Amino acid sequence: MSNKPFFKKPLYFLIPVIAISSILGLLLLSTIKLEGSIEKKIFEISTSDVFTIMNNSATAIQSLLKESTNYPEDIKKNRLLQHKIEENLKVLITPNIKYAYLLYRDERGVFRFLADASKQEEKALIDQKFDVESPEWLSLYGEKKALMIQHTLLHQLSMSYLIPIMYHDKIELILAIDFSIQKIEEINHIIHLMQNGILAVMIVVLIILLFTIIQSIRFRAVKKTAFIDKLTNVYNRNYLQKYEDFINLNDFILATLDIDYFKKVNDTYGHDVGDKILKQVANTLLLTIRNKDDIIIRYGGEEFLILIKTQRDGHLNALNVIERIFRNIQEHPFAISNNETINITVSIGVNLVPHKSRTFSEAFKLADIALYNAKNKGRNTIELYDENENIHNTFLSLNEIKEAIEEHRILCYYQKIVDTQTQELSYYEALLRIIDKNGTIITPDKILPTIKGTFILRNITKEVLGICYEQLIKNPLMSINVNLNPHDIIDETILTLLKNYASEPTIAPRLGLEIVESEDIAHRDDAKNNLLELKSLGYKIFIDDFGSGYSNFIYLTEIKTDYIKIDGTIIQKILEDKISFLLVKNIVTFAKEAHIKVVAEYVSNEQIYDKIKSLGIEYCQGVFFSTASALQNHDEDKLS
Amino acid sequence: MRVFILLLTLLAFSSAENYTFLVQPYSKEMELEAKIIAEIATSSVREKIELFIPHMSEMEEKIYSRYFKLSSKCETANFVFVNKAVENEILCDNTNRLFFTNNYRKLLSDEKYYGALFWNKSRPNIVFIKKRLEKRAIELPKTFDQFIENF
Repeated sequence: MSNKPFFKKPLYFLIPVIAISSILGLLLLSTIKLEGSIEKKIFEISTSDVFTIMNNSATAIQSLLKESTNYPEDIKKNRLLQHKIEENLKVLITPNIKYAYLLYRDERGVFRFLADASKQEEKALIDQKFDVESPEWLSLYGEKKALMIQHTLLHQLSMSYLIPIMYHDKIELILAIDFSIQKIEEINHIIHLMQNGILAVMIVVLIILLFTIIQSIRFRAVKKTAFIDKLTNVYNRNYLQKYEDFINLNDFILATLDIDYFKKVNDTYGHDVGDKILKQVANTLLLTIRNKDDIIIRYGGEEFLILIKTQRDGHLNALNVIERIFRNIQEHPFAISNNETINITVSIGVNLVPHKSRTFSEAFKLADIALYNAKNKGRNTIELYDENENIHNTFLSLNEIKEAIEEHRILCYYQKIVDTQTQELSYYEALLRIIDKNGTIITPDKILPTIKGTFILRNITKEVLGICYEQLIKNPLMSINVNLNPHDIIDETILTLLKNYASEPTIAPRLGLEIVESEDIAHRDDAKNNLLELKSLGYKIFIDDFGSGYSNFIYLTEIKTDYIKIDGTIIQKILEDKISFLLVKNIVTFAKEAHIKVVAEYVSNEQIYDKIKSLGIEYCQGVFFSTASALQNHDEDKLS
Repeated sequence: MRVFILLLTLLAFSSAENYTFLVQPYSKEMELEAKIIAEIATSSVREKIELFIPHMSEMEEKIYSRYFKLSSKCETANFVFVNKAVENEILCDNTNRLFFTNNYRKLLSDEKYYGALFWNKSRPNIVFIKKRLEKRAIELPKTFDQFIENF
């Protein structure tokens, strides 16, 4: 498989990964910051009440001492005052506040107790020395404001809160409380809960992220498989549908490639060999193109679209690639068995100026026109799309065709099909024509390529059927053959239309349905069943262009066709080409055995007519008898 | 005061990595206590110390033996650390040996103790009584001044 920018650019993968990682990193950072703020806030909320109560206690103690000029000495001397202060301190004791006490600092700088709210067994005595564990205690005398000390070494206390009680701007007393570790454990518990919550969210985000990445990788792998044609290992039609809007038309030239007479290969050697040839052709294409730049897409059975990257110096290199593809296939012997090879040729249509088209489909269409021209010129050639040449040979656009339908500018020309023996008229074949806005008659070769595969083709078929139906009603002696394509046979609306026509007793026997031989009919049960149903309604079935493509005799019997029309290109060569003659002869022999009537098309002169007559072909059609034209009044008179 | 606080802090920090209180709370507290007692005893007694702790537990024996030569009898010891409250207990006299306690009230009430190391508001506190130091002719280094009470 060739490397393609759509799949192989690692940036497409890296950018989202980097973006998501950055978001995750930012989320992590902001979470850490948020966690810090929340921790601080929780601490404030948990302690603010206590601190307020403590401040109230300090104020209360100060008011008890309002008469005093020496706080420590007066407390020591006055037992009642000591008792009152201790009662005040006891209010502070809770499961979280382990100790509450009042200290002073003597002249030696030693802290001593004046009051203690602890129980009797832990209670400090008046004037008992108190060794503080941290030098931070001393900083209180510099700052002269409440101080929080966190304990990292004391295993029963988490922190202390100290409030200075001042007298004449001098710290006389210190009101202290010690928080038990229970308090900090509670705070830590809340913080841990929060941390775990955040961690869980982060893990979930990470899992989702990983899951998304894994799924994206898997999706890409599956998508890639969906875009590769299993048989040929080149891109398939899905790829084209998905990426056609992303293909920069300035960067490529477009070529459509069709294997010449591929149906004959299938018919002669079987489908397995056909598949083998397709694989080998695709392989040759892949080996010839420039892996990193060019793209091969199999968009039909034996049709490939080639996108060749153009260089800055023009189309020369790109054209060389096309030329190499053409030559390599031409010169390459294609193996059909272990010891047998055949030669294959291809027709290639090239659009050198896709950038002039508005859409990829338009550019593709122009390459397809070039391919159509290549086929018309006898195949085995490369045809460049020529804007000037196609001015005179321009296909009608979809819009022009739609307008023609809406404005009833669709009409039919009729060509006679005569009895070979008597040369008398047996049927007409209705042939599609459109009158353009200038009044020019447009033939199907300028209509059908545009609408091939679109719903417009079905609408055109319905229009033609309608016109023929009216003719049959108007001319009771007239029989008309109408061309249907294989997809029309399985279209419910067309089927319903034909069923409705058949309700008129004389219509179905006079309306022949000419269907181009196709694998689609042979392989689809619904198509076969529909044909049999139409036959049972009285329609005659004609297999058109027999010998040009699929040419499978078995399915003729399966669908119980009434007529076969031998392909005109074979009839044209019947005089000078022995193989064509033998082919026609064999078809006729088979048809007689199978009770199928034969029509020869393209009978253009007397010599061909004589040959046809000698072969016993029942009907003839061609310019030797009549050209296609609008039904003249005198013809209508004869038929009514 | 500052010096001692620093001393205590340094002491605590020097073995901070061993503070796995939640695993063995008792042994770690006892470890700290033993270190402080060792510091006090070596500063108070010039000879080699033989320590006697009444009703010594296995854990105490294990920990204190790291810092002291332990004596099984009060009579043969030159430093006695009474850290359990036993009613009416009769120990050997305080001639030729120093008595230390972990109870502040016991220190105040019993003349034979010259100092105490006790836990006050979950903090280690040390108190020496000046008169009893003088009576026993104990000269502590200057760093201990903050802990000497002049009763």
